[in-house]
Amino acid sequence: MPKQTVDVLMGGYLSKDAAHEDFEAVQACGAPLMGLVVVSKGLDGSMEIEQHDHIVKEGAMALGGAGFVVGLFAPPLLAATAVGAVVGAGVGKIAQRKVESALEAQAEQTIPIGGAGLIAVYDHEHAAAIEAAVTRAIKRVVGEATDSHVKAVKAALADASAKMAAPNA
Amino acid sequence: MPVVDRSHLPIRRPTFGGVVNRTLAGSQPDWNLIGHPTPPDGAPNVLLVLIDDAGFGNPSTFGGPIQTPNYTRMAEGGVKYNRFHVTAICSPTRAALLTGRNSHAVGFGSVGEFGGGYPGYSATLPRDSAPLPRILRDNGYNTAAFGKWHLTPDGQQGPGGPFDRWPSGWGFEYFYGFLGGGAGQWDTVLAENGKIIGVDPRYGDETDPYYLPDAMADKTIEWLHGIRAQDAKKPFFAYFSTGCSHAPHHVAESWAAKYKGKFDQGWDRLREETFERQKALGVIPADAELTPRNEAFPAWDSVPDKLKAFYSRQMEVYAGFSENADHNVGRVIDAIDELGELDNTLVIWIWGDNGASMEGTITGSFNELTMMNGIPLTDEMQLQLSERYGGMEAWGAEIMAPHYGAAWAWAGNTPFQWGKQVGSHLGGTRNPMVIHWPDRVAVGGELRSQFTHVIDIAPTILEIAGIPAPTTVDGIAQQPMHGVAFTDSLRTADAPERHTQQYFESVGNRAMYKDGWWLSMRTARIPWLATPQAIAPYAPGVWDPDADPTELYYLPDDFSQAHDLAAENPEKVAELRSLFWQEAEQYQVLPLLATLSSFFGQLPPLPATTKLEFRGDVQNVLSGMIPRIYNHSYAISADLLVPDGGVEGVIVAEADHLGGFSLFVEDGKLTHTYSMMGVFIFRQQATEPLPSGEVNVRMEFAADAPKPATGGQVTLFINDKPVGGGRMDHTVPMRFSGYAGMDIGRDNGGVVDRSYAAKAPFPFTGTVRKVVFDIKPHLEHEEADLHEATKNADVAHALSA
Repeated sequence: MPKQTVDVLMGGYLSKDAAHEDFEAVQACGAPLMGLVVVSKGLDGSMEIEQHDHIVKEGAMALGGAGFVVGLFAPPLLAATAVGAVVGAGVGKIAQRKVESALEAQAEQTIPIGGAGLIAVYDHEHAAAIEAAVTRAIKRVVGEATDSHVKAVKAALADASAKMAAPNA
Repeated sequence: MPVVDRSHLPIRRPTFGGVVNRTLAGSQPDWNLIGHPTPPDGAPNVLLVLIDDAGFGNPSTFGGPIQTPNYTRMAEGGVKYNRFHVTAICSPTRAALLTGRNSHAVGFGSVGEFGGGYPGYSATLPRDSAPLPRILRDNGYNTAAFGKWHLTPDGQQGPGGPFDRWPSGWGFEYFYGFLGGGAGQWDTVLAENGKIIGVDPRYGDETDPYYLPDAMADKTIEWLHGIRAQDAKKPFFAYFSTGCSHAPHHVAESWAAKYKGKFDQGWDRLREETFERQKALGVIPADAELTPRNEAFPAWDSVPDKLKAFYSRQMEVYAGFSENADHNVGRVIDAIDELGELDNTLVIWIWGDNGASMEGTITGSFNELTMMNGIPLTDEMQLQLSERYGGMEAWGAEIMAPHYGAAWAWAGNTPFQWGKQVGSHLGGTRNPMVIHWPDRVAVGGELRSQFTHVIDIAPTILEIAGIPAPTTVDGIAQQPMHGVAFTDSLRTADAPERHTQQYFESVGNRAMYKDGWWLSMRTARIPWLATPQAIAPYAPGVWDPDADPTELYYLPDDFSQAHDLAAENPEKVAELRSLFWQEAEQYQVLPLLATLSSFFGQLPPLPATTKLEFRGDVQNVLSGMIPRIYNHSYAISADLLVPDGGVEGVIVAEADHLGGFSLFVEDGKLTHTYSMMGVFIFRQQATEPLPSGEVNVRMEFAADAPKPATGGQVTLFINDKPVGGGRMDHTVPMRFSGYAGMDIGRDNGGVVDRSYAAKAPFPFTGTVRKVVFDIKPHLEHEEADLHEATKNADVAHALSA
């Protein structure tokens, strides 16, 4: 049986509109998803979380224990500017409400006001379709791994997170 | 009737001609003593209108896409000039307009905010150059200015003056408008005469919101009515200087909506369409050619389809904004007409103080100050940021401070090359002018093509009024006006061309005009780039101005500068280059690029004050006068009286959500919000509530490093106890806002933190006894480096003001 490769795509946005647009585009692309989340924070600081249903099924298990933090962030200002937006969660095999709660708690700490982030988790064989649907991310990174299922996703998340945090990523 | 000597101002009071005895017995009064100077008989009213940051190809009167029915009305009843010239940048044109002298010769080689250390760049009007309003006032005119001023340096725009740098010091008896280079049209921080009066109370009113262009017209009409209620005959000089079409491009949706879809064809096609209309109208010669697009501007076809609507919207708003300006000028003209005085009013209406502005960079921006603060953003980022603040539909509303992309400006300057800042080419220097004066100019819609320049306006007005340029003012001998009157061209199409020679210089871009020949000497720097890398080729000892590429045009045969004749005419090139150096020396243009001196180590003294106290209810501190906290560690400390039951409201706030900071209390907790130009917004909140009684609160920012835009750590304190904080990865390196002010005890105008927008201005419900800013100096050498970086940023701002 061939090893499964899991990809985690993280996108950062300056507006929730853009993140929602990509969220809908990914949903509409037809590729099966293990998880899809957009988290945004309005100008008044209010949080908004939108999730694809699969996150509480296969995806929630996949994300278990990852405790990831995604940083879209800004290299030195006068050289080039990107964006800071962060999505975080420590989720396991839990109900959707708890997933949202955990996401919200960490996102509250890490998503900048006015910013938004998107996370998509999917099997690598669908990467082309999903990546093509993500057109508006200011910053986009993909982590992948081929280890066992849970570990793979954790590794992928860590990899993507590290890439997102790298100054010149 | 005694002869009045108008050559020395103020005009001397007439000698007593009566008789004075010990008692009234036999005494004879002389009632002339209680009179006041009156202008010569026949001196007309003058309405001088100046539109901001607009191009030759913008108004429909000159073939542009923006409907300007009132401008056309004036043109059809008067004359229109198609070879009128300005200086390619804001303040210099205004200084030249109001003094009749070359801008460098009166200290305005660059913008008003930042005075330099050379005579041509001091931003300080010399006393030997009394301006037109002063001359007219002293000769018996009523004088007033409305709208944009832009001739008062930063640091002098508060209650301490000095007020000889304010409109009143230039001879305006009344002023209503703003002192800077640009202003929010909804939340303008207003000045009236010698006081900053802040944002109008109607700001944000949903049914009757304040809007500066409307208010300018209202105030002008009110002023005219007041004068006529007092004196039926006294002539007036009204200077109506719109904030439009300078960024931020603010206008009600109903105006922008008129242009929905009108620019979907893009800037390349728009230029062609405008050019065709210009030919059809006859405002350009039949043999004029449309100059090609420079590669600095992208082709419209290269714009991704998903972004075309975003770009189109930028121009729709600019067009609606501009049409609104025409509308409000029309209201003033109508009011003069209702007074029965339009026929005897000399209306001079100049559409643009320089070419249309390319300072929005290629992308345009949701916030014009982003580029001035060195924040490069892609067009996708700009689009997303505009979505954050309401989407494209809100482009034009108060929640953004938008500027369109550079290629739209280039299209607005059809048929010429380049635009604002580029003094070497007509795109920056040639603007439409219309003059309407039915009593004396009854020609109706004719075209005038004499070479004219903004320094000719004052001499022309004086000649028409029969008032000589004074030889002394307040006992000080005056330098002569450099412009020449073009009065005879008002009536005669083939009147001789009197202005035969003129230099141009803006940020190193130079031109020399003489007898139809125009030598262009443009620096290679893209006008909207002022990075150290872009400036480096102009360092002392590196830059040889005479090695700059030259272009030579013969304008009588080549209206648009389409044919470079330099290669065939090396003698003419050499002659005009030599003449430029002569004029540059004569008019204080030298040293070239004095505007950029800070990039090359020539810096003003370091500011010495690091601790500033604001007591009581200080409000509307203009953006150039707030404590210079940028790029430093600093603390903001406030002594408060908190009543039992708690407080809420703003302790101190600077500017708004597009750049600024606010220290406030909400839900009983001390909170600090910092907007890094609306791109990053940081908020920290105390973990425990504010106690009652006498309380000291403090916000400390510990900068990571002595560098521009440094990140750092915020800590909040209550009575010296740390109660929370957080990190700010980036801070504003240069300036929060071009216009919004700082307030103690409230947040006037647009608010910094949108969470309290519904409660704006969110006044503090306790007592703010005082607020103290304590700026921590860096080490001496670090401070010097930072000072240089800050001044460079100031220059970048100056180039865009």
